[in-house]
Amino acid sequence: MTSDTAAPSNLEDPSNVRRWLQTNHPKQFALLDNFEIELRLGRFSSTRDASKPGAHQGSASSRYQYGRDRRLITTRTVELVRAIIGPTRWKTAAQLLTLLRGLGNELHAAGGYREPAIGNVLRRIMYAVRDEADHVVPSQSSGVDDMEKIDELTEHVSSKLRVSTGKELSLASMLWAHPQHVTKHSRQPSGDYNDRLRSDSMGSESGIDCWDANGSNIYPPHFYSRRDDLRQSVMEAIQEMMSELEDLHKNINEQATQHIHAGEIILTYALSKTVELFLKAAAAKKRKFQVIVCEGAPHFGGHQMAKSLAEAGIDTTVIHDAATFAIMARVNKVLLPAHAVLANGGLIAPSGSNMVALAAKQNSVPVVTVAGMFKLCPMYPHEGQNTLNDLISPSSILDYSLMGDPVLSEVELVNPVHDYIPPQLIDLHVTNIGGFQPSYIYRLLAEYYHSDDWEAFE
Amino acid sequence: MDSTTPTNAAEAPKKEKKKPDNIVIPPKKPKLSKAERRELQERQRAAKAAAQTDGGGDAGKPKPPKIEKKEKTSTAPDESKRKLKEEVKKEDPTENETADEVVALFSHLPRPKPPIDIHSVSNPSIHPVITTLGHLYSTHTLLGGNTRCRAMLQTFALLLQSYEPPQTSRDYRHDLDHSLLKPAFQYWTAQCRPHSVSMGNAFSFLKLAVANLDRDLEWSEARQILLESTEAYVNERIEYAGKAVSRHAASKIQEGDVILVFGRSEVVNRLLLDAHRDGKKFRVIVVDSRPLLEGRDTLQILSRAGISCTYVLLNALSYLMMREVTKVFLGASALMSNGSVLSRVGTACVALLAQSNHIPVLVCCETYKICNRVQLESITGNELGDANDVACTDCERVGPSNRWSGEKEKKEEVLDDWKNQPNLKLLNLLYDLTPSDFVTGVVTEVGILPPTSVAVLLREMSPQENNDSAFKGTDY
Repeated sequence: MTSDTAAPSNLEDPSNVRRWLQTNHPKQFALLDNFEIELRLGRFSSTRDASKPGAHQGSASSRYQYGRDRRLITTRTVELVRAIIGPTRWKTAAQLLTLLRGLGNELHAAGGYREPAIGNVLRRIMYAVRDEADHVVPSQSSGVDDMEKIDELTEHVSSKLRVSTGKELSLASMLWAHPQHVTKHSRQPSGDYNDRLRSDSMGSESGIDCWDANGSNIYPPHFYSRRDDLRQSVMEAIQEMMSELEDLHKNINEQATQHIHAGEIILTYALSKTVELFLKAAAAKKRKFQVIVCEGAPHFGGHQMAKSLAEAGIDTTVIHDAATFAIMARVNKVLLPAHAVLANGGLIAPSGSNMVALAAKQNSVPVVTVAGMFKLCPMYPHEGQNTLNDLISPSSILDYSLMGDPVLSEVELVNPVHDYIPPQLIDLHVTNIGGFQPSYIYRLLAEYYHSDDWEAFE
Repeated sequence: MDSTTPTNAAEAPKKEKKKPDNIVIPPKKPKLSKAERRELQERQRAAKAAAQTDGGGDAGKPKPPKIEKKEKTSTAPDESKRKLKEEVKKEDPTENETADEVVALFSHLPRPKPPIDIHSVSNPSIHPVITTLGHLYSTHTLLGGNTRCRAMLQTFALLLQSYEPPQTSRDYRHDLDHSLLKPAFQYWTAQCRPHSVSMGNAFSFLKLAVANLDRDLEWSEARQILLESTEAYVNERIEYAGKAVSRHAASKIQEGDVILVFGRSEVVNRLLLDAHRDGKKFRVIVVDSRPLLEGRDTLQILSRAGISCTYVLLNALSYLMMREVTKVFLGASALMSNGSVLSRVGTACVALLAQSNHIPVLVCCETYKICNRVQLESITGNELGDANDVACTDCERVGPSNRWSGEKEKKEEVLDDWKNQPNLKLLNLLYDLTPSDFVTGVVTEVGILPPTSVAVLLREMSPQENNDSAFKGTDY
């Protein structure tokens, strides 16, 4: 690796990350490049199809296989991040965060916007970094005063809040307890604390003005101090995340018997590995139930799902999506897969699930989502049905061979991939850390992601 | 005492009366208790089932006699069901293999029939015109309540023209009913495809017309009357009604509307074309669903007329519905008397989505499709289609849209061998019931009514029919 004299100054801007990697760490740059190429080509979703050459490959290309193996993508992303952070030369927490942010932007541009899970794991890593940066006792003397001061200040502030409100630590106080919030939104009773922190920042070695106008990319001053032990703890945190991803289905399936009982008729929509494993786990524990699978036109993921469930010994029936309302009178429970879980508790699910959820609500059938926590996105559905949505090729609706007809070529064809399901239609989110009601999801956001990282990667 | 002996004497003749003459009673029959009689019946039933599987269909075998009339009432439904099952088995022995594949929820519905082979039908009493129409029904070439009803009435007109009443019989009406109308209708319903409500209502109209004929009338005159009344029925209740529906609904279409339609409905297409001809500017979103993909026909019809269309499958509906749809027009196969709508499967989903987004739903239906049955949900009265249509994902090959494709070879499907997998079943429903809460208004030839007024309309239209058939279903 070349010298890192240019490293600190180049790594302040997230958009410089690519160039920085290219000049300083060509190996890691190659890794990043390969990953982006695979992401763009959608290779992660067709890993299963690659094993079946010939006819199935042909049909797979004509049918859009949309990001089915999301856990694989997420695992690979974490591995990539680990490979990039591990050997590269970053010195301070701020640089690391900038590096991660830059990575996020890169991957987002390379097609990661289709996979919010990528952004989510990056945000979680950033949260872990911030966490470690706050709590690790540094060996360097230049940073120690700040850290100690900040630790006792945190205690001071939270104790003050406790005293002032007369109650235990509330939601608001949990937010305010973090130092950068105390400084940014200067609503705290302790005004002198603000001045003290500001004066400390002037003395930091990077000499950068922390109070940027737009408010983003600002890290608290102690992040700018050099930290050698941070690498170790960050790598450990990433390792924890990896093992959580590996155990994902195991943790979800432990709850299978709580929700699936004997004699039930369960409806599910299209293809989802998580739901499939969930149902198979319940069947493995000798629960006798029936599953009705909606085929999920035009991708027909439901056919694959039904076949695999039937092979596991579950009594399965395949119906057309149109028959959803007709059959709902007999269904006991609806299990929906998730592409993403939004901050308000709403769900981004395969296109057509909104209809299923509405029909279930009409018939008072509980709707349960099964998803890993890496699908939790810190965004709100401001765009309604367009949130995290994509319009893909309409060839699966109306074959291109028919487009030669001049009349038909004037017709507009719409083929969205996802649906947004509002939280009032959902009764439960089953995740690897337990089951939550949709109104609780926003609370989990505070535990998983730092509020500064919530904005989308551009 | 004195009072008992007369009652005993009265009971003895009563017991005599209980046994009618036409029931064959075997000579030596000991008096059995109820449990013993039931046991005997079970044994006989098992023996008969065993004999059936060995010997195949025996048309001439006498049924086991009814032992006691009291017993008969309790076991009569089982007996009749068993007889029906045996009849079905006799007619098509291959149905035995598919018996397990029908989903248990729908075991009360008749099994889907494979399309009949018109070249191999050997029953001489069935006119070839009947079998042709039956073939068109069973291959889903003729779809839609109006189309099927018209075709049926046209076929009956053809049959009437070639029918000659037998010389020996006194009452040609009875013979007409017995040898022409009833067998044809039963053939279509039992062998090809269960009849729609429109067909049923038209058939009962025809039977009523036959019954109202003067028995002393010459056949040529009677035939003329029948043909005229049939034509009048088609003209009034179908054609004119369609035009009236279109006129009423036209007032509801405004400039700049975005109208959503589902599948293919003759009435809805007519009203959209009329509105377009009148110069109104609107857009149409055609929603389609598998397996029949009737929306493609609608798309063709509307876009050739110059209406700008969008075509989507059912999954995209919630994406589109909230953004731009202003009205929904739906067709119906039947209107139930509580205002709920029996229509192509998927209609209920469309109506549900529209209602949840506060978009008005107008169901366009002629009054002859009003049925005096009440149904609460879609499972009690429905029709099963061919299960293979679910497995076949190639949109070009299924249903009437296979007219569109060329000679493509069949592509490999995920569910090609679903029959070998015992846990896997495919379900193909053809109808569903839209509850009346989802319907804003019903457009009929008498006007636009709220769905709760359908029962009133039924009563107004046919008072004598209503009296005696209020609790009967539409069985023939």
